[in-house]
Amino acid sequence: MKKVLVMVVVLTIGLTVLAGYLFRALLAPLLALLFDWGILLAGVAGLIGIGYLIHMNLSKLARREKGAFFSVVVIIAFVFTLVSGLVMTPQSPFFRDLILNVQIPVEASLLGILAVTLVYTSLRLVRSRGWTPMSIAFLASAILSLILNLVFINIPTDTPLSYLMMFIRRLPLIGVRGILLGMALGGLVVGLRVLLMIDRPYGE
Amino acid sequence: MTWSFIGWVIIGLSAGLLFGLSFLIKDFDIYQIRWPAMISRLIASRASAIEQGKKRQVVLGHQLWSHTYPGLGLHTLSVLPDFLDPESVVDGGQSVSGGDGSLVVFARQMITGRYRDGFSLALQDASLESKLYGPTPLSFTAGFLPELGMDPQGSLALFGDYGPEAALWVEAARTRHGRVFAAAGSIDSQASLFMTVPDLLIGEEVYMLPGLLSPTSKNRAGWLTEDFVRIILILMIVFGAILKMVGVL
Repeated sequence: MKKVLVMVVVLTIGLTVLAGYLFRALLAPLLALLFDWGILLAGVAGLIGIGYLIHMNLSKLARREKGAFFSVVVIIAFVFTLVSGLVMTPQSPFFRDLILNVQIPVEASLLGILAVTLVYTSLRLVRSRGWTPMSIAFLASAILSLILNLVFINIPTDTPLSYLMMFIRRLPLIGVRGILLGMALGGLVVGLRVLLMIDRPYGE
Repeated sequence: MTWSFIGWVIIGLSAGLLFGLSFLIKDFDIYQIRWPAMISRLIASRASAIEQGKKRQVVLGHQLWSHTYPGLGLHTLSVLPDFLDPESVVDGGQSVSGGDGSLVVFARQMITGRYRDGFSLALQDASLESKLYGPTPLSFTAGFLPELGMDPQGSLALFGDYGPEAALWVEAARTRHGRVFAAAGSIDSQASLFMTVPDLLIGEEVYMLPGLLSPTSKNRAGWLTEDFVRIILILMIVFGAILKMVGVL
């Protein structure tokens, strides 16, 4: 019975949202209400998620698992941010400076590590994938893009070479567009499978 | 005829094909499985990790819903049940994590739902929990990396919507001798993981994963629908390009 109820709710809401694209003016108030509910539920789920995060770290601490020290840091940082945010409010310039001056350097250092990792892995590309047409094409296009994006390459406009360069520069866009079309098609089929009750991830 | 109308025709056609083919395709062998070697390696690495008592990580991505990739979050939840079999969870070595509160909450619902269905007593154990290491991509990475570095890793399976930071997770898992399988949904993750992960699904292949893990006639109907619509789209694009070249459009 519970499963049937869930299916009816999913089907009704799904078809209403879909119909909203056809009869936008007629269903606008209902759609706004449904989206508001959705945002509210997502917000509550986000809060529960944060609860899980704290619970996980407290459990680690209680069980004295490996890496409990990191959990102490997480909990202290969380409590400090929460209390100072409640006291000073997120609009306070001092609070924003306090948080952002920690968050931005930490995230920037992670991005720095990521950049080094990507360079290192690109050097190992052939070793991990071998000399396949895909790996050669990937490597060649990456090197070509890097060269073409060098600022000191200036080609006179309205020449055959400039058109060729423009064509080569647009090639990655074509690839991205092709992948996005495929993804959209996959997303469409996933959505339809849920609407037609072929897939029921919510019913597990 | 407007672009919106063409979009509705494609949606209607897909729905019709999916509905019709779901009833028509009953025979499992009518449409062959794709990339079986990749899936076999994923299953083998997970089995080997269980035998060796190593950790198995399942990452569900950073978002349940996004503008650019709207179906990815939902899709990742469709994949999760295939990783909740009794063998995978009984030793407490499996971990399911995500970077979005709603994803993690839904994943936990699915885990407890499986238990309620009488599927596995092991799922009742607190050892299998969906975890949120951080609510943003980089905070998730900061929380997840120490986790990967602590114990020997058997397998790391990446699904859903995540970015290039996945390259860091892969390197961390590799350092601990973990085998990586990734279904890279976003363009950024595809580009960064192509260099390191041989078992990588990209583009629309990502959406075929539930069917690859548990090949049923309904999943194959989905593949066949995608293939039909893809061919139609290709023909439409070629036709449109020709019309543009001759000056009709």
